Amino acid sequence: MTAVAPDAREERRNNIATADVQLPAVASYTQITDEILDTLKITKAWFLGLGIAVFCLLIGATAWFYQIYMGLGVAGYRPPVMWGVYIITFVFWVGIGHAGTLISAILYLFRAGFRTTIYRCAEAMTVFAVMTAGLFPILHLGRPWKFFWLIPYPNWRLIWPQFKSPLVWDVFAILTYLTVSATFLFIGLIPDLAVLRDRETNPARKRIYGVLSFGWRNSDREWRHFARAYLFLAAFSTPLVLSVHSVVSFDFAMANLPGWHTTIFPPYFVAGAIFSGIGMVFTIIIPLRRWFNLKHYVTLNVLDAAAKLCLFTSLVVGCAYLTEFFIAWYSGSEIEQAYFWNRVFGQWWWAAWIMLTCNAILPMLLFSQRLRRNTTFLFTLSIFINLGMWYERFVIIVPSLSHEFEPWKWAPYAPTYIDWAILLGSFGWFSMWFLLFVKQLPIMAIAEIKEIVPPRMRYPHHEPDPEGHSITPGIIGSYEVR
Amino acid sequence: MRGIVGVFPELDTTVEAIVELKKLRVGDVTVYSPTPRHELDDVLKHGPSVVRRFTLIGALLGVTFGYWIAIWISDYWPLVVGGKPIASWVPYTIFGFEVMVLIGSLSTVLGLFITAGIPRITQTVGYDPRFSDGSFGIWVECRPEEQDAVRRLLKEKGAEEVRGER
Repeated sequence: MTAVAPDAREERRNNIATADVQLPAVASYTQITDEILDTLKITKAWFLGLGIAVFCLLIGATAWFYQIYMGLGVAGYRPPVMWGVYIITFVFWVGIGHAGTLISAILYLFRAGFRTTIYRCAEAMTVFAVMTAGLFPILHLGRPWKFFWLIPYPNWRLIWPQFKSPLVWDVFAILTYLTVSATFLFIGLIPDLAVLRDRETNPARKRIYGVLSFGWRNSDREWRHFARAYLFLAAFSTPLVLSVHSVVSFDFAMANLPGWHTTIFPPYFVAGAIFSGIGMVFTIIIPLRRWFNLKHYVTLNVLDAAAKLCLFTSLVVGCAYLTEFFIAWYSGSEIEQAYFWNRVFGQWWWAAWIMLTCNAILPMLLFSQRLRRNTTFLFTLSIFINLGMWYERFVIIVPSLSHEFEPWKWAPYAPTYIDWAILLGSFGWFSMWFLLFVKQLPIMAIAEIKEIVPPRMRYPHHEPDPEGHSITPGIIGSYEVR
Repeated sequence: MRGIVGVFPELDTTVEAIVELKKLRVGDVTVYSPTPRHELDDVLKHGPSVVRRFTLIGALLGVTFGYWIAIWISDYWPLVVGGKPIASWVPYTIFGFEVMVLIGSLSTVLGLFITAGIPRITQTVGYDPRFSDGSFGIWVECRPEEQDAVRRLLKEKGAEEVRGER
């Protein structure tokens, strides 16, 4: 097995976001299969992590049952602030999902090679984040068992849902996003499930993998149609990712409240979602590459390129923050101006400055290449980004509701222990699914990584063989990654 | 179904073997590789995949259904607001778009399954587990009288293992 190149010696590349990303310490297809399947071995640390995740989930579940019994008042809802931590956390988790689709679909269409080793994790993160987000509109209901009223069918005295309501748009957008993301993840997994099937020695597990891989055989016919189908799924996912958070932003932008009723919301939300998702990708991938000894796959060049993306989206988000202030000033609306003043220098100054510091100021450090290649720094920054993006949604939702048009409607808001317990439970739910995923299925796309590693050749330099046969010039001549 | 399967450790020898097999004009050739390689596509010279048709039809059906369900329901249970259209196409574009993506994606998967011939219940003939790991493979479906020539050719071109299967 080839020795793993130490991080410090990894060659820096000027343009690492292009498709020619290379894995110098990965020598053969078999090495890829061996090393990635090695990550599936169950360890005590994994059990410990799963135990903690389930414990957090149980705390959240207990809080939810208590809330159902006592009523929504225990969640800190007081008029006029009737959207609180649950809607904040809903938007937060939907946003987290977006980076997964960006990395797996949009960067695929742009042929950005650095995505190859991180996209499977990011895609799984998307599916589990959207699954988590989907819980919150239900948690937000006083009678959660009636959540299905939003699904379009004549549910009560033949009354259909109101199709002009942003809440119904949300149902369509989120369900479509969950279905398409899960499909995209599963279709990409089929060739890797075939690898698992072929390596498995336990007959029962082999049969399960055989069924899940649909009898995939890696034939030319299968690859040809697979590549085309994967391309189309990526092409569908790309506008979908832009539409979903736009639709989520309509939940606010369609309402006539200061701070909400603005046309900047869709692009602002999409940029914020991708930014927060990349933060979460760092939070997940940096420990994983260390624990699973995959530093030679998720190289510093890969992290460097992802950090540039993070920096870019941070700049977009920062620009959106400033544009909001500009619009408030330029509109000449005193209510809008008073609202924004209150947001940054008044009642909610602490939340607004957490948001601005974590999302717009600290990521500026990523202009330094040295910091972009420092995993400890990236991980720490990612925690601040997660925190900042949760507070961004807090700043969007709570100050608008608590500082409406009329002064007699102004009110404070404070989350309760139930809110925090359910927030913790959501992290437990997400982590539980993710931890189960990493020990059952490959966290990197085995077949796709093989695509960027040069295949074994008998005559690697395109020289004629000893008998003087040329090796099909023009066919082998371009075997380098493309 | 009977034929010869050859296991190749290298890509270039696999490509050469395919070129020679085409000249030999024996039966259907199926090539296995652990990952898609354009070198193989170039010698196999397949036409474009028809998955795109499934995608197009699914997307068109989806966008039609998305608009239709919203417009039909608005008409079925009208909410009359003075001066406002009962069925308003602007918000309904969200349904049109989302259902287009949903049905288009699912029909793409259906297209993949139909064109690639999966799910496949039995998959042992002509296949070797090494094809999903590090080796390339060629399965030639041929008559018994052609098998010796195919076997010889595969060996000559560098197959590490050649065996007949049925």
